[in-house]
Amino acid sequence: MPRIGVYICHCGENIAGAVNVEEVRKYAENLPGVVVARNYLFMCSDPGQELIKQDIRNGLIDRVVVAACTPRTHEPIFRKTVEDGGLNKYLLEMANIRDQDSWPHWHDKEGATEKAKKLVASAVAKAAFLEPLEDRFVEVTRASLVVGGGVAGMFAALDLANMGYKVYLVEKSPSLGGNMAKLDKTFPTNDCSACILTPIMVQVGTHPNIELLTYSEVESVEGSIGNFKVKVRKKQTYIDWDKCTGCGDCVNACPAKVPNEFNEGMDNRKAIYIEFPQAVPKRAVVDIEHCLSCAKRTIGTQPRIHSKTGEPILAPCEKACKTGACDRSREYNPEGEIVELNVGTIIVATGYKVMDKAPFKEYSPQSPNVITAMQLERILSATGPTEGHFHRPSDGEKPETIAFISCVGSRDKRYHTYCSKVCCMYMLKEARLIKEKYPETNIYIFFIDVRTGGKDFEEYYNYCRNLGIKMLRGRVGAVDELPGDRLRVRAYDVDLGAPVELEADLVVLATAIEPAPDLDELGRKLGITCGSEGFLKEMHTKLYPVETPVKGIYIAGCAQGPKDIPESVSQARAASSAAAVPLTLGKVIVEPLISEVNQRKCTGCGTCVQLCPYSAISLVEDKGRSRSKIDEAMCAGCGVCAAACPSGVITLHGFTNAQIHAQIKALAC
Amino acid sequence: MKVGFFVGCNTAFNRPDLEQAVRYAFPALGIELDNLEGQSCCPSWGTMPSVDVVGWCAVGARNHTIAEEKGLDIVTVCGSCYGSLAESKYKMDTHPEIKAQVNEILKDIGREYKGTSNVRLTFYYLYHELGPDKIKEAVKHKLDGLTVALQPGCHTLWPSKVYYDKEEDTFHPRVLKEMCEALGATVGHYTRLIDCCGMGAMRSTDMEKSFKLVEKKLISMKNEVNPDLIITGCSSCLIQLDTAQDLLRSSKKINFEIPVLHFMQVLALCLGADPERVTGLAKTDVSRVVNRILEG
Amino acid sequence: MSSEQAARGVINLSESDSSLVNEIKELGGEELMECIQCAKCAAACPMVLAGFPFFNKRIIQAIFLGLRDALLDDSSIWACQSCNRCTEVCPREVNPFEIIQAMRRVAIREFALPTLSIEGLKSLYDTGHAVYLAGAGNTRVKVGLPEKPPSTVANPDALKELQAVIRKTALADLGIIPMDEPGV
Repeated sequence: MPRIGVYICHCGENIAGAVNVEEVRKYAENLPGVVVARNYLFMCSDPGQELIKQDIRNGLIDRVVVAACTPRTHEPIFRKTVEDGGLNKYLLEMANIRDQDSWPHWHDKEGATEKAKKLVASAVAKAAFLEPLEDRFVEVTRASLVVGGGVAGMFAALDLANMGYKVYLVEKSPSLGGNMAKLDKTFPTNDCSACILTPIMVQVGTHPNIELLTYSEVESVEGSIGNFKVKVRKKQTYIDWDKCTGCGDCVNACPAKVPNEFNEGMDNRKAIYIEFPQAVPKRAVVDIEHCLSCAKRTIGTQPRIHSKTGEPILAPCEKACKTGACDRSREYNPEGEIVELNVGTIIVATGYKVMDKAPFKEYSPQSPNVITAMQLERILSATGPTEGHFHRPSDGEKPETIAFISCVGSRDKRYHTYCSKVCCMYMLKEARLIKEKYPETNIYIFFIDVRTGGKDFEEYYNYCRNLGIKMLRGRVGAVDELPGDRLRVRAYDVDLGAPVELEADLVVLATAIEPAPDLDELGRKLGITCGSEGFLKEMHTKLYPVETPVKGIYIAGCAQGPKDIPESVSQARAASSAAAVPLTLGKVIVEPLISEVNQRKCTGCGTCVQLCPYSAISLVEDKGRSRSKIDEAMCAGCGVCAAACPSGVITLHGFTNAQIHAQIKALAC
Repeated sequence: MKVGFFVGCNTAFNRPDLEQAVRYAFPALGIELDNLEGQSCCPSWGTMPSVDVVGWCAVGARNHTIAEEKGLDIVTVCGSCYGSLAESKYKMDTHPEIKAQVNEILKDIGREYKGTSNVRLTFYYLYHELGPDKIKEAVKHKLDGLTVALQPGCHTLWPSKVYYDKEEDTFHPRVLKEMCEALGATVGHYTRLIDCCGMGAMRSTDMEKSFKLVEKKLISMKNEVNPDLIITGCSSCLIQLDTAQDLLRSSKKINFEIPVLHFMQVLALCLGADPERVTGLAKTDVSRVVNRILEG
Repeated sequence: MSSEQAARGVINLSESDSSLVNEIKELGGEELMECIQCAKCAAACPMVLAGFPFFNKRIIQAIFLGLRDALLDDSSIWACQSCNRCTEVCPREVNPFEIIQAMRRVAIREFALPTLSIEGLKSLYDTGHAVYLAGAGNTRVKVGLPEKPPSTVANPDALKELQAVIRKTALADLGIIPMDEPGV
């Protein structure tokens, strides 16, 4: 007969504020198998843990139930307590009477106390069936994968590479750089974005420990911490990158015109293109969808021969290429190439996307002079469509009056309810850059709340106001198109208490920071989830901000939520440090909470093989019969196989049928 | 084709010439009108909607059920009726608890709201059911050479979520423009196109303040378009723009007069209606522009 | 506190009525608390342009602060044309128009409604039309229409039906207009 000790935590007021702890303790005392029930103000404190250890050492108990907060943060602590006391650490069960009880039922004290009793009874019932289990260790592949080659991904990769680990950096665009490469200057110090980013891109591109996979995307991920098997699809560039020197001759020769993504659609690029002048790697790619196949040189075909000269008839890009990198006879392979990687840890830093202006019809997005702040960023940049000359899109005139509109698509229930966080500062920055260069420009910023929390940000804001940038509190309600490509901005100035109208030459929309496209799909491949706002969810907002519920997978930068550059870089370096821990240890503990099949009784039906989301189960031949085999290293302990097995011969350790049935039965009482 | 005509209050009692225009134009285009016998007020915003949500929907639902029983959609020429009816329908269709309470009330008079009839505004109905091309073919007179300024009207546009017929962009409406262009008019753009004319509750609460809006609107039309005619999509806007000009002139706020007609009046004229019957109650002098239309 | 004070003088927040928020939510303004006072509705509101002391944004803020009397002493809430441009642009899906309607519903429950609204309600009950011009028959005939439209005014049974409906609504409990049973 097991001897169970029950330890109920007050968690200060967190639990005791809603649950009558003493009443629960008295109730627990009388549960079957319970030999002692105690309560304490903070069970996780040293004296609290000591209570448990003493009872174990005194031989009073051999099973422990802790009714307290969440196992997510506290199970490791109490397992260690149990182990230090001298018991197998898996002889512990937790009842979460805080997150699942006192917090949600704060205003129903009686109900919360009753529910706490049920949760404790259920944990006690399970505890009676707990078995000692042994941890396992697996060897770690000392390499890491970083997904995303923006500023966050690059810093994460560099740190790991500098620690001596092999890093694979996967980027979906042809070049590293991400959104930061598009920016003109960066707040709060107004450094030129390209000037500070380019050296980082070069370091990443030339680092001996970093293998760059640009123009590539993650296809699938299998395995678990220490041993992830990742398939990466390298999209076909239609150019031999080993031969390409990035000279740009083919680009000049190409006649096709395609809206230029890098310049936010404000000018055209060619069908064969180099993403931007500072691209790393500086290599050309063919956008096959828009390629005109000049001279009937469809990819994968042999050139026709000129009837008179006997020379092959080549496309202009091929003719221009001096190295033979551009050869349209090469195989047409839209599927690209699959590369398989083995890594111990993964960092996801896929960044963000800025929202388009089109949905905001009240702001007349059909006008070319209504632009997004990212478009303005490109207009201000020396590598942008106007080569840094401050011209408005409709006619190339220099704008005399500019209106910025904040929170476009942010704090907006129709699109994104969150604050995009960086807009206040980037609006001020863009306004300041214009005002410093062209002091005669009239600049108005229409805002709801100016949010400039951050090191040196408030000082920046005041500096901008001193430059004569005018700030108006009140979300703009309408932008009317006026003759002469001008715009009338209409708002209610909250501080004046009056409606205001402004005739402007350019209207800049501070559109929201959105999750990158397909982020949820990438999340699914990795087994990590997105929050309601669409960004990847961290393990714990405060304590584990770069960890995810999947061990060995970490997140950084705007994939987790809107951030500025300083924050993205800090988080990237935190993620690399977290991702290096398992690599440094060389082995990781794998909890024994995994499935085991009783091979003797297995009928070999294969149901579990199909269902296993981790591909951990296979059918093996045994004495002429087919039977399931579970790979311990790959099993994540999800329990799908155990639930589905028609013969009931799969056991999920830590969640056995006997344990779960006992738990349910206790709840039903 | 057949549709239920919801007349409302202002059209029936204030501008029956507009009612007559609808009664002329629809059959002339081959669409039969049902009288929806026994219809009442929509109800208008200052009445039941200002008392109680369920009461508003109940009075609205009684009107809806008259059309539902005949299997017809409702058309109206008045923006307020359009708004109130569409909104009560939207509330009942999206809130089952409101619908249930309304049907509890309707049970006593042997009716049940089902939500099977749509609420349409005349010019949207014609645009979607016939299309500008068919209307172009049907008319006897055209607006060739006439420059017009439009007043689509707030209720024809917002809140777009409650309406069956939708503009692609409710801040840059196109349907009334396309319909007027189909009749041959040159439609001038002015920058206060979607601004409110000041009619309705504002005018009854404070006429002076309400007239500030119509004044601004008329001046924007005059300066930016200088139209021969203002065409409205809503009967309330018709009344405001038509009646305010005289008063604004006598208080020296404006020094011009622009004739004002509802789109259905213009359409009826183009289809050959007797001008006295379909435009006879205009306060602005429409005779010259009417003659030009009849010559066109 | 009068509306004039609300517009110019010191507003004494200690006199605020914290029950107003819930009352508004119960009377149809369910989304009230989503408002973050961004003022986009005010930027689209004709009442602002016309110069009314209270309008969508300000009405909502006054409700938040429980300034019941300030709102009831002023006629602004009755001037809303229900144009719904605010509803169309509101980034918080507050439906400011419905909040104003809800505030009217509060006002009506305290008999703070304009004469015109009482007349409109009475006319609706008596004739089936909020706007009914007794002399309109001649004008109708002049343009070739029957004297009466095919509505409740031409159909006594339909009017009785409508009155039966109205007597089942909240209006009946409020006693704002006489609603005698037919024949009583």
